[in-house]
Order: sequence, then C-alpha cells, then structure tokens
Amino acid sequence: MTVDTSRPAARRGGVHAPVAHDSALKHTTGEARYIDDMPEPRGCLHLALVTSRWPHARLTGLDAAAALALPGVEAVITAADIPGRNDIGAIIPGEPLLADGVVEYVGHPVAAVAARDLETARRAAALVTLTAEPLPAVLDVRAAAARDHVLLPATVFRRGDPAPHLDAAPHRLRGEVMVGGQDHFYLETQAALAIPQEDRDMLVHSGTQHPTEVQHMVARLLAVDMNAVTVEVRRMGGGFGGKESQATIVAGIAAVAARVTGRPCKLRLDRDTDMEVTGKRHPFLLQWDVGVDADGRVLAVDMRLAADCGWSVDLSPGVVSRALSHADNAYFYPHVRLTGLYCKTNTQSNTAFRGFGGPQGMMAAEAMMDHIARALALDPLEVRRRNFYGPGGRDLTPYHQTVEHFRLPAMVEAVLTSSDYARRRAEIDAANAANPVVRRGLALSPVKFGVSFNKPEMNQAGALVHVYTDGSISLNHGGTEMGQGLFVKVAQVVAEVFGVDLARIKPTATTTGKVPNTSPTAASSGTDLNGMAAKAAAETIRARMAEHAATLFGTTADEVIFADGRVRAGNRVLSFAELAEACHVGRVSLSSTGFYRTPKIHFDRTTNTGRPFFYFAHGVAVSEVAVDTLTGEWQPLRTDILHDVGASLNPAIDKGQIEGAFIQGLGWLTMEELVWDGDGRLRTHAPSTYKIPTARDVPPDFRVELLADAPNEEASIFRSKAVGEPPFMLAISVWLALRDAVVSLAPPGRVPDLPAPATPERILMAVEAARQP
Amino acid sequence: MRDTLRFALNGRPLAVADVPPHHTLLQWLRAQGLTATKEGCAEGDCGACTVLLGTPRGDGLDWRAVNACLVLLPQVDGRAVVTAEGLAAADGTPHPAQTALADAHATQCGYCSPGFAMALAALAQRPERDDTAILDAIAGNLCRCTGYRPIVEAARSLPQVQVAAADQDASLAARLDADSADPLAYRAGQGRFLAPRTLDEALALRAEHPDAWVWAGGTDQGLRITKRLEVPGDILFLGRVAELRRLERQAEAVVLGAGLTYAEALPAVAEVAPAFADLIRRIGAAQVRNMGTLGGNLGTASPIGDTLPPLLALGAEIELTSRRGRRSVVAEEFVTGYRTTVLAADDLITAIRIPRPAAGTRLACYKIAKRVDQDISTLSAAFAVRVEHGRVAAARLAYGGVAARPLRARGAEAALTGAPWGPEAIAAARRAVADDINPLSDFRGSADYRRRVAANLLDRFLLEAP
Repeated sequence: MTVDTSRPAARRGGVHAPVAHDSALKHTTGEARYIDDMPEPRGCLHLALVTSRWPHARLTGLDAAAALALPGVEAVITAADIPGRNDIGAIIPGEPLLADGVVEYVGHPVAAVAARDLETARRAAALVTLTAEPLPAVLDVRAAAARDHVLLPATVFRRGDPAPHLDAAPHRLRGEVMVGGQDHFYLETQAALAIPQEDRDMLVHSGTQHPTEVQHMVARLLAVDMNAVTVEVRRMGGGFGGKESQATIVAGIAAVAARVTGRPCKLRLDRDTDMEVTGKRHPFLLQWDVGVDADGRVLAVDMRLAADCGWSVDLSPGVVSRALSHADNAYFYPHVRLTGLYCKTNTQSNTAFRGFGGPQGMMAAEAMMDHIARALALDPLEVRRRNFYGPGGRDLTPYHQTVEHFRLPAMVEAVLTSSDYARRRAEIDAANAANPVVRRGLALSPVKFGVSFNKPEMNQAGALVHVYTDGSISLNHGGTEMGQGLFVKVAQVVAEVFGVDLARIKPTATTTGKVPNTSPTAASSGTDLNGMAAKAAAETIRARMAEHAATLFGTTADEVIFADGRVRAGNRVLSFAELAEACHVGRVSLSSTGFYRTPKIHFDRTTNTGRPFFYFAHGVAVSEVAVDTLTGEWQPLRTDILHDVGASLNPAIDKGQIEGAFIQGLGWLTMEELVWDGDGRLRTHAPSTYKIPTARDVPPDFRVELLADAPNEEASIFRSKAVGEPPFMLAISVWLALRDAVVSLAPPGRVPDLPAPATPERILMAVEAARQP
Repeated sequence: MRDTLRFALNGRPLAVADVPPHHTLLQWLRAQGLTATKEGCAEGDCGACTVLLGTPRGDGLDWRAVNACLVLLPQVDGRAVVTAEGLAAADGTPHPAQTALADAHATQCGYCSPGFAMALAALAQRPERDDTAILDAIAGNLCRCTGYRPIVEAARSLPQVQVAAADQDASLAARLDADSADPLAYRAGQGRFLAPRTLDEALALRAEHPDAWVWAGGTDQGLRITKRLEVPGDILFLGRVAELRRLERQAEAVVLGAGLTYAEALPAVAEVAPAFADLIRRIGAAQVRNMGTLGGNLGTASPIGDTLPPLLALGAEIELTSRRGRRSVVAEEFVTGYRTTVLAADDLITAIRIPRPAAGTRLACYKIAKRVDQDISTLSAAFAVRVEHGRVAAARLAYGGVAARPLRARGAEAALTGAPWGPEAIAAARRAVADDINPLSDFRGSADYRRRVAANLLDRFLLEAP
C-alpha cells in the first residue's frame, strides 16, 4: 500500500500546502463562537469575583450580607463551599482555588458572587467586604533573591568545573540585566461555562489549553471521579500559555458555583480582573560571571537566573528548567554552572507564556554576548560566531545533550547576505557619526530552541478519527485550537493519509470525552504530537479500507492507492466515499484512535542531564532601529528573518506564527511594561495602561523567509518542525539593536545598561549614561 | 418629547424602550445574540467591539467606525448601526473586508477579526490605500496573534465599496430623521437620558438638572460606567444639538463648536495649525476620534488631555454659555486644577475659538508616550514661537503631564522672549523650565524622565528650525 505523491499536495490541501485557517472566514464574519458567544442555558447565572486588596494578609472576615440583599443575587461562594479539595496546584499541591485564611497577592480570588446577570454580579461583588490583618509582603524579585525568599530549592545545571577556569580566564566579566514580565493579553479574556448534568456530572466549556487538567481539577474540587467531568473547547481567542494552568481558576470557580447553585454558571473575566488575577510571563533577574579569552571566546560561565514566580509554584519548575536549558542559546560553554532560583513575591502567580522561560534564558546568553563584545570592543557578530556550537568537542549543552544538525552557522551566512548586513553596518556607522540626535542601531541574533516538553512523560498524544459512509471524515485529537492553526494542520495530515480533499475533513471541538489523558497544547508541540496521533489513527483506518478494497478489486492491499479522493488498484477505481460505504456494508470498522509518543527523549531530574529535546528549531534575525536621543522614543526600520520550520506543513500558517511571535516578542522587550505600586497593586491592567504593539510598531520593511529545502533530520510529522514559540525570541535582535544605537554614543569599552522592556524612558537613561564623559 | 429610542440595526429600523440608559451598545448587541461584536477591554482601547455608526448628514448616512463599548445605547438614537453580522450582502456574500482578511491569512485566533473587518469596511469607503491611511484606519484595533502584516496586506487589496447603496442610505437617513425629530427623554429603570435638539433646550435642562452627567462623545466618561460601575442619575446628551456643531472660518480665527468630534474638527484645525492637527491624529484612534469631542476633552480637564497644550500655545479661547449669557475665557484660565474648571453648574462649553497664528509663528506639538498610536501621553508639549529679525518676538510654551493641570512655562517663555534665537536662548529656556513644571512619577514615567524630556523638547524645537 502506498500514498500517491506524484501530484502537488496543494491541489487537495494535503501537507505542505499554504491553505487557510479552517475558521478564517468564520472569524471575520463573527460566526466563529467563543465561550461567551454560546447561547446561555436556561437559568444560567453569571459570576463575578471578590478579590484581595492586600498583597499578603490573614483574612479575618467576609461580610456578604449587602451583596446577598441585592435583588438577583443567588449565592456568594467561598472556600467553605468547595465540596472536595480546595487545591489546584498543577505540579505541587498547595494552591487553593479560593483563598482560605490567607491571601497572597492583590487580586487573589476569595469569593465569587452568582447572580442572574453580569451587571448585578459585578455590583454585588463590590459590596462584599473583606477584613484582614496585613502581613509583610515581598514585591520585588531582587528583594526576594537577596533574602532567599523562595518557593523551591534552586535547580542547577552543571558541566565541567567553572570556578578555576573563571579565575584563570584572561578576562572576567560580571554583569546583569533585569527582564520584565509580560501579560498574555489574549484578546478573549478567560471564560468558562459549567453546566450541571445528571448523576452529579459536570460539563464545562472552558477556554483552556489543557482540558485534561481542568477535568482533573474540577473532579478534585467537586469530589467526583474524572469520568463525571467533561471539558470541552472548540477554540480560544488566543492563549499563549496563559490558559494552560490558569484556565483552571476560572473553570474551577464556575464548576463549584454550578454545583452549589445547581444551575449553569458562567464566569468571564473582564479585562482588568483578568490581568489582576492571572499570572504572566516570569520576570527574571539574570546575572552572569563569565571568563573569556582575548577574542571573546567563552572559557567558563557561572550564571544565576532568578525567576519571579509570584505567590505560588504553578508551572515554575518547568519554566525555570527551560530557562536554564536555553541560557546557552547557540553557544558552547566549556565549563558551566547555571543556577535557577524560584523567588516568591506577593504578586500574581507567573505561568506559561510562549517560550516558557526559554526567552528569558536566551536573554541571559545574548546580553552576556553583547557584554563581552562591548567590554572588549569587539564586533558582537564576531563574538557570537566564535562562540557557536560546532564540531571538535564543542557540541555538548549544559544539560549534556549533544547538539546535532546545528543549522545556525549556514543560516547566519545566508541572512548576512540577504539583509545586506555589511553594507548597512558601514552605512549606519557613518550616519551615526554625522548625526548626534538620531542614532541607528543594527543587530543580529540567533535562536536555537529545544522542541519537546522538558518532562518526557508529557510527550504523548491521542486522536480519534471517524470515516462516515459518505466519505466525510471527523477528526478529533487532544490538541486545542487557539489561533495557531493546529486544527487545519492536523486536518492536512489526515487529508494526506486518505488522499482526499481537505474539505472532506471536519475538525471537531477538543473534549475529554473523546480523547482522554492529554497533555496541554503547549511547548510548540501541538502539531508534532497530535499530528502524529491523527496520522496513526488515519493510517489504521486506511489499512482496513485498503484491505477491503483489495478484496473487492482482487488485488493485494499493497497495490491500493489513495489519491485525489479516489481509491484505485490497477484499473479498478472507487471514489473514497464509495469505498467507505462498501466498508460499512462489509462490516469493516471506519473509526480508530491513534496514539503517539516522542522517541529518543529522556531526562534525569536529579542530575538535570539527558536528552530532553527531540530536535532543535533554529532562526536568525537582523533588526535595525532608530533612536531619538532627546526623548528615548524609537522606531523599528527593518527586520530580516530566516526561520527553520523543517519541511513546513503549511507555509502560510507558519509564516503567520513567525511574524506574530516576533511582534509579540518586540512588545515584551520594548513597550509592555507591568508596573506594580508600593502596595502591590498592578497599575497596568488594561490596554489603556498596558501597551502591546499596534500595526504601526511593525518594522515598515519586514522580510520573513522560511528556510528552504530543510526537512527535519528527525522523523517528525512529515519532517516539519515546531513553530509556535521559537520565533518569539527573534525579537531579541530588536533589543540588541537598541543597545547598539546606545553604544554608538559611548566611549569604547563601555557596556550599556538597558533593562527590558526598553521603554523610551529607559532608553533615554541609557543614552544619557552612555554620553557621560 | 419622545420616550422611545429609534434607530436602525443592520438595515432594520427598530424601536427600543426597555433597556437601561446606561447600557452600552456592546452590551445590548450581545444580549440580542449578535455576538460577532466582542468585548476585549470595555474601555475603547482594543477595537474588538468596532461597529459602524451611520449618522444622517445631508441626504445620506455618514458611516464611521466606533467602539460599541463606549457608546451608550441611547446615543445611537436617530442613527444606524452595522455589525459584522450585517456587513454581508443581502445574498449572504461576505463584505470584501471579510474575505480579504480571510484570504490574506490575516486571522489567527479570530477574536479581533470582526473588529478589524469593521475598521477595514470603514476604510473601504474611501479610495486611499497608502500605508498611512491603512495604519490610521487600524490603529485602534489590537491583534495579539498575527503581527499585523497580513492585515495591512488585506487592507491594501480592498476595493472601494460603500457600506450600503446611496439610495438605501438616503431612505434610511430620512426615516431616522423623521422617527427621531422630537427631543428624547428616555427612561428605563433609574435615570433618564435627555437628548435635546436645540441649545436653548440644552441650557434649560442643564440649569434644571445640574447633577446630570453632561455627555458628548462619552469616550472618557464611558469608563465611569464600564470600569467604575457608576450608575448615572440623569444624562444630558449634547450630541444632537445642532448649534454645538458650528464651524466658522473667520478672518482672525476659526471657531469650532464644542460638539464637533475630533475627526470633524481636524480639517479646520489643519488649516490654522497643521502641527495641532498632527497631534489630533494621535488622540486615541479612529474609533475614539469619531466619537470624542473637543468640548469633551476640555470638560474632563485631564492633566494629560492632549488638546489643551496646543490651545494654550495658540492662545485659544473657550466659549461658555448658560441661560445667564455667554462668555469667553482664555484656555489657560479654563482649567483651575486637577480635573477642575471654571465651569459653573449651569454652564456648557459651546465653542473653542482658535486665533490664526501671527505671520511667522512656528507651532510644534509633541506627544511622548510608550507607543505611537492610541496611547495616553506621558507628557506633551506645544510651542508657539515667532522670531523677528533674529530675535524671539513672542513665545508661548505649554506642557501637559508635568503638573496637576496643563500649564504655560512662563519662566521659559521669559527666557526666550527678546533673546536672539539660537542655542543660548534655548539653553536659558531649558534652565528655566525646571522651575515652571512640577511632574509626578507614575506608571507612565518618572518625574525625572518628564523633567529631562520637557527640557530636551526645547532642543528638538531648535533642531527642527535652527
């Protein structure tokens, strides 16, 4: 049995075709439904949260009398109303759904009001009064690190013996950079609708990247078996990691309220509440102590990456582990110690966000490379190239995985040519010498990103495929759609296997009732894992169909070809639908599950060594900026990107991921500033105060290319590579270009101090520091 | 007096009488099951709730993109609304903006997409497809997924197409005008929405109901309802008072009715003071400029309101009217402190008089923010300087965001006036401005940053006209 690949896949929307997102037109007409758009079930109640106004306090009282007196209010739900265990800790127990006794940040949910409409619920929530005794609070990661105020013992990656080699190095440099957090700012705020069923079962429509975790936690909260809880999600209006663990807060409260009231309950957070309650990208204080030779080549590194975890653990162990495993980025450290700290602050519990610590770890590597170059007055590009992984014993990571199939040196050369780097470098230097006010900066940054969940057991997926007797196909898998195009990519895989048009395949809502025990859609793994599982399911059915066709045709199954919506062997042909009908008549099952687990990977969490990543994805960016040295305002001028997605499953979708990730990264590093005041209140909790990029913040000259003819050496889904997260870090080139502009004002050897996000204010301060005599 | 709202939704005339007057258009649409219009922020900053609002003008409808989250339902009385559901042709064919976005791979999660489709549908009415026109059209719409490049590409490919056929618009406009000719006194639940049609009626209502919220575009005051959950008692809506929309081009000045939106006032401002017009283009985004009014920006008296520094620098006068009569105050005396003004309880702001600058005057306006588009100023400045025979003959230097209210930097003005124009005079002004201003530190910027930039902007002014 073979698949006919002689015709271009684009004709039927198989793999490698640039087909549109399956919901594209439904998005623009508004037909696509999100949770708050669903028709409300009869008797549906609306919820609003009562949250802490203290960063840390012991609760002494809750008075809900005024709220309950408001017409339309049905209940005020607190921790005492939770039938089961009040704990939604994703990795480590100890994270109550509703605060019980102690609140640990401003915004900590304490109670929820259920009312007949949202306006009444919100007004009633404002009438619930909390009393508390304030406790000491720690609000800043630097203070927490200094006091060893941590949630968990440090994680250390080590190879070789850095201390003596640091002492012996010709140059020893110590530096640091503070990198701020980032709100996900998914356009759809978090929402869930819980509907009580027979048998005390609960159906939860949840905007979650992790339906299984919501199912697990709701079962725990309600003290029922997991089979009594069904969690479903058709699509999210953006996730970016923010709806991985923390969707449970919203879904859990909705489910408890539905159990307590016996009525459907919906909780949709307004934007301010969403930003005040839910966690963000971890801010990190990154510090390095590096020994280098006269050419800027690293001899030994000792780094400390202090993560601001917020008040609780959440997913921080994974985030810190990925930060440490990306603190090398593309560079070989002969002797290395990387220490990750889990600092506790009385702020939102920080969580997954596109890159999952990788961006912060990579910032340490790139800031250190820039530091080396500036301190030694070397060309930053040269310093980067000298430190690249390479052959000759320079291919071992700090976690002892060998770097194979390293594509960056060739990709860098290609981008230097395509971006006309050398000519522009000289032109910018000349222009800067002539213009004291507007300074331009140029920088190249590479990305090497490890693909697979750092936890090997999470690298598994399931799918469920049905072929109906009219030849239409229903596709279900454990992955969730949040805009990344997972559903269409997996549908392309199934179309390829059956040799049918993409239009024959209907992707269906993710539900724990169809595919159980799934991993979150995260770590860029959605297509790699679910595509493989769906392929396995489809191939199982195809094999059965081929066998039946062989019987009908009087051939062997090996001779049966599925292509162009037809099934043929020799000169015998049936349409795919005819064969489906024939299989049904012949009592052949047209439904199958599929399962996949990533091969080759392993990781020892006691030594922090192994092969956590199946493969690496690569990217290179060159960015140019212009800085107004009077105000610190800046503009992007041009960005060139070359990104490695292997043999792309869908070049249009992949390009969209690259562009979107880059702009999101640009926002993180330049304008998205989270500001907490001295009382622990987040002051930037809506788009009026928290600024994500707009269309005018995109480089006016923005060139994105996919690396051509570059199938994955590993046997990934049709030799493609994951794309969700890796390009996010290409935006580091913008931050480096801003530093480059600042450096043009400084005497040789001076290292700029530019924390992230590099707001106009911070740029102006760096400019003025650079200009000091 | 009328007690029923009359407007059109997706081409269909409606009468509504049972919705509380403080409910927003967004709330109401979604309650009707029209869920294409999304709530992303409820403060007019994300554009996910963008709809088209058609206002009868002449013999047609003037269609503009607005944020449904900041429009109270009664504000659409006498107007027409089109949502993403209503954009399609009668046979169900999607609007070109909807297909262009889908074809250009310009949607990912899709939550912002109906709002972008509406913003592009507004753009599609006009012929311009240059990047400035496109970026201005979508500056008020946030997308977190795509990085915008495909959205801009979709916009470039748009054909010119009107929201509805001209004859349809004309008949709907006539119907709306007829249905809503009488002044409105709408009540549902607590509070009334009063929409007079003449200035005399408005002044009488203002005097009789001094506690009523005076409501023009609602782009700032709307937040009291959507964010602070305040419930207004009575609302006095000025949007239908014809006299507040006057526009007079006089020999010495232009007079702009306080009820003109930013978008409507822009061409006249551009004639008098192009730099001021450029600044107005950075107030909010299209959706805000299509609703927000000059009078409203003055009435809220924010220390970081963007129009006051240019008005101070230009020597503008604010016209105030009550049943007691009409008077004018110079712009700098209008705001007395943090969000306080000289307005009496029975006053309305009726017009702004902007004198034409004396020949040889150079005006520059600066807005400093974390982001170019749709951001609130960290600080702003407007400088009007006239140099004659190498010396500064007149200087008016105004700042916003550096004190409790917008102010003129009198010390810096004195340092400049009479001095030979050049680096030395600017250096003296830099030194003086430090004593003129008293900035605070907040999440938009530190006092130190505001001080440095306030001085550096004088350098920029010199650089631009050495």
